[in-house]
Amino acid sequence: MGMEKRAEQPELLGSDLQSNMDKVKAAFGNSSDIVTERISIAPGSHLEIGYIYTEGLVSSALVQNMMLESCESLRRWIDVFTEADEPNKLDLIRGILAPAGKMKDIIDFQSLYTSVMTGVTVLLIDGFSTGLAVCTQGGEDRSVEEPETQSVVRGPRVGFTENLNTNIALIRRRIKSTDLWLESMEIGKVTKTKVALMYVNSIASDKIVEEVRLRLSRIDIDGILESSYIEELIQDETFTVFPTLYNSERPDVVVSGLLEGRVAIFVDGTPFVLLAPALFVQFYQSAEDYYQRFEFATLIRLLRYICFFISLLAPSLYIAITTFHQELLPSQLLLSLAAQREGIPFPAFIEAVVMELTFEILREAGVRLPKTVGQAVSIVGALVIGQAAVEAGLVSPAMVIVVAVTAISNFVIPSFNMGISIRIIRFIMMLFAATFGLFGITVGLIAMVQHLCSLRSFGVPYMSPMAPLNMPDQKDTILRLPLWGLFSRPRFIGDKNKTREANPPTTKPNKK
Amino acid sequence: MNRYLLLICLALISVVLSGCWDSNELNDLAVSVGMGLDKKGNKVQVSTQIVNPSEVATKRGGGYSAPVTTFTATERTTLEALRKITSVSPRKVFSSHLRILVIGEALARNGVAEVMDSISRNHELRSDFYIIVPKGTTAKSVLSILNPIEKIPSNKMFSSLEVSEGTWAPAAKVELFEFMADLSDPSKENILTGIRIAGDASAGNKLSNVEQIVPSAILQYSGIAVFKGDRLVDWLNQDESKGYNYIVGNVKNSIGHIRCPDGNGVLTVDVTRTISKIKGILSNGKPKIKINLFIEENVAGVQCQIDLTKPETIREIEDLSNQKLTTMMESAIRKAQRNKADIFGFGQAIENAHPRQWQKLKNDWPDRFSDLDVDINVDTRIRRLGTTSNSAIESWE
Repeated sequence: MGMEKRAEQPELLGSDLQSNMDKVKAAFGNSSDIVTERISIAPGSHLEIGYIYTEGLVSSALVQNMMLESCESLRRWIDVFTEADEPNKLDLIRGILAPAGKMKDIIDFQSLYTSVMTGVTVLLIDGFSTGLAVCTQGGEDRSVEEPETQSVVRGPRVGFTENLNTNIALIRRRIKSTDLWLESMEIGKVTKTKVALMYVNSIASDKIVEEVRLRLSRIDIDGILESSYIEELIQDETFTVFPTLYNSERPDVVVSGLLEGRVAIFVDGTPFVLLAPALFVQFYQSAEDYYQRFEFATLIRLLRYICFFISLLAPSLYIAITTFHQELLPSQLLLSLAAQREGIPFPAFIEAVVMELTFEILREAGVRLPKTVGQAVSIVGALVIGQAAVEAGLVSPAMVIVVAVTAISNFVIPSFNMGISIRIIRFIMMLFAATFGLFGITVGLIAMVQHLCSLRSFGVPYMSPMAPLNMPDQKDTILRLPLWGLFSRPRFIGDKNKTREANPPTTKPNKK
Repeated sequence: MNRYLLLICLALISVVLSGCWDSNELNDLAVSVGMGLDKKGNKVQVSTQIVNPSEVATKRGGGYSAPVTTFTATERTTLEALRKITSVSPRKVFSSHLRILVIGEALARNGVAEVMDSISRNHELRSDFYIIVPKGTTAKSVLSILNPIEKIPSNKMFSSLEVSEGTWAPAAKVELFEFMADLSDPSKENILTGIRIAGDASAGNKLSNVEQIVPSAILQYSGIAVFKGDRLVDWLNQDESKGYNYIVGNVKNSIGHIRCPDGNGVLTVDVTRTISKIKGILSNGKPKIKINLFIEENVAGVQCQIDLTKPETIREIEDLSNQKLTTMMESAIRKAQRNKADIFGFGQAIENAHPRQWQKLKNDWPDRFSDLDVDINVDTRIRRLGTTSNSAIESWE
């Protein structure tokens, strides 16, 4: 492993404070945010302490406090200090600094650098070749807020932040079990991003944990800026439009994933936590499915699958039926569609592509533009698509309806990355529909299903529990049974510990 | 990787080379909703009623041109004539949305087998249109009458046939498959509903026809045409048509009148439910038909002096209704027997009951049918009297 190679020849600290400090300065290229301070404890004594920390990564109050405490105390104990022998001197300083927090000995430069870069203050004492790292992490951080994606009507309003420790704590707070295991590692040769692997040991399948660990260890890259880097580097299949890792900004979603036996991957610097393995149906489930009554949740899930098909097929069905299979339409509908198409200069396919493209452009522009301008764009979009294009006779009103329904259906799908997959396939389907009609759509759908069935996420079939069919798991796939019905964990993922609960179906007062 | 490249190339080639074969934009189609077939010498005249979509479906204004246009062409065969229409029509004629097929009376009397063959072979036609016969006029003129309210005349013919079969009774909807099946079935002859132009036919094809409160010309269903083989041989009048529909069980809902028990005035009854059973019997080798009609009626109007509160009166009305219905059904049977055309499917009933004996009977079935014994048994039940009991007429007395 890469880390071991670097650790082979650690450059040890010298005992001269000045040369150590100079070395650190030189290593950082005299960067102005690396603060190196030398303080002489008492006039006359030779005791000098050097503090090294990175501005902005540390809590300045903590550092100040720590410096003040250490100087004050050392000054008070200076006599004891000077009389003590070498090893005891260090212990004395440790004792003095103990209230400041977690401490670690530093003997080589490499670990000094790493510590400084993670917001630790390093104390170097003149004449000692061992430094002390004092935990002073702090600095600017976003507080825990409501997540912007995956919002719910009912449910916790907590979202992950960019801080890894906060994120892990958010999970710890929810799973109070010694079985919740965490493995930390650093990925990225330059960025040294902290990545943490979390799973519930008694539930998660050892094979999957081992596979995730292995794939993470294989990563060799200069930097990890977001969990999507990890996602792309460890996913099973590159050439697919479907996401094979799930991401979430919500601690409750991650907790439920962990309880099902999934492995969570936390990356420092992003609120998006990955869950592996991910199944196709998972992307159509929302945290709220479990917070609302089961009938409603089932209904909403059905709605989502309907929207999946609308969003995927509406424009292509419109093209196929109006240009190939006019006999399928009810006569009245045919006539009103035909009347709308009178004088439209483009074939239905071009019309549909133009409208879909316009919509995609507006949507993308809406994401990129600053919020204040965004409103202007939506007005322009509504006017251009809804009014002007129809008035000018470039597109038929029916096409506008189709595009609008398609777009709205796409937003119903709870996860954004699955929505993107559908957007891509939609265009392919439109091409198929324009060339071969409904036959083409059928071929396209068969190809899509085939592809979906060939996918795997960490060895688990992507389409399970539908293909391969698993009846017990249907309880929480398209349907969402009442909570007492969700008795077992999903197959393949939670096999190690299948039983989830043993609740009686109903609880009624005893009859007298 | 090369394999994938090849696959992508193949997919692209199939997309590009096939070039949207068989695709038609909606605005390149002339949607034909009605088709008429007439005899012109030894040729066939085909008329198609094409919808002008912007006139029919537009929300802004409209009304400047006729909602439909009828194109005509004459050729030796139906399909030739149908193709020839493209020489006058601006767009490709698209017949999948055909609502009504009108077979001219002259052609029908001459035999429809030839034209119906090409109609039934045509893959473009959906088979859910109805077939009708104009009475005393040509198919072309039927397709040239504009209609108020329902802008497309063929749609009007389609929907009023549907409505009137269910609620008025002297009409019968016949679809292509039924017609073709009966055409080749010796145990049942075909019927088609007749249509006539009421009023001034020549004024019917102008937009002004629909601008009046009372249109100058209007299409009206009247009677049922009796076929023998593929030829039209006779017409059933209104009562006979009703009788026909009662026998074959087509009536869902109808209204009729019976004479009052005392002979003065009439009593209107509303038929709400009918169940008809035709049973074929062989007695001593002689075929016989038994028709059992169960019918539920409501009293809908009373113009006589009777006491409806008494159960005996109701019995009496039921008897009268039985008699009336029997007469209607008998008259229909008589007319069919006169023409030796078994339009009721009595032959089928006998075949179902005695398939082996039928093999002997079927050869001279038309003759046997003409003097067939038909036993009609009607069971009327009066269920409701409406919202009042006795008529106001009675209280004046």
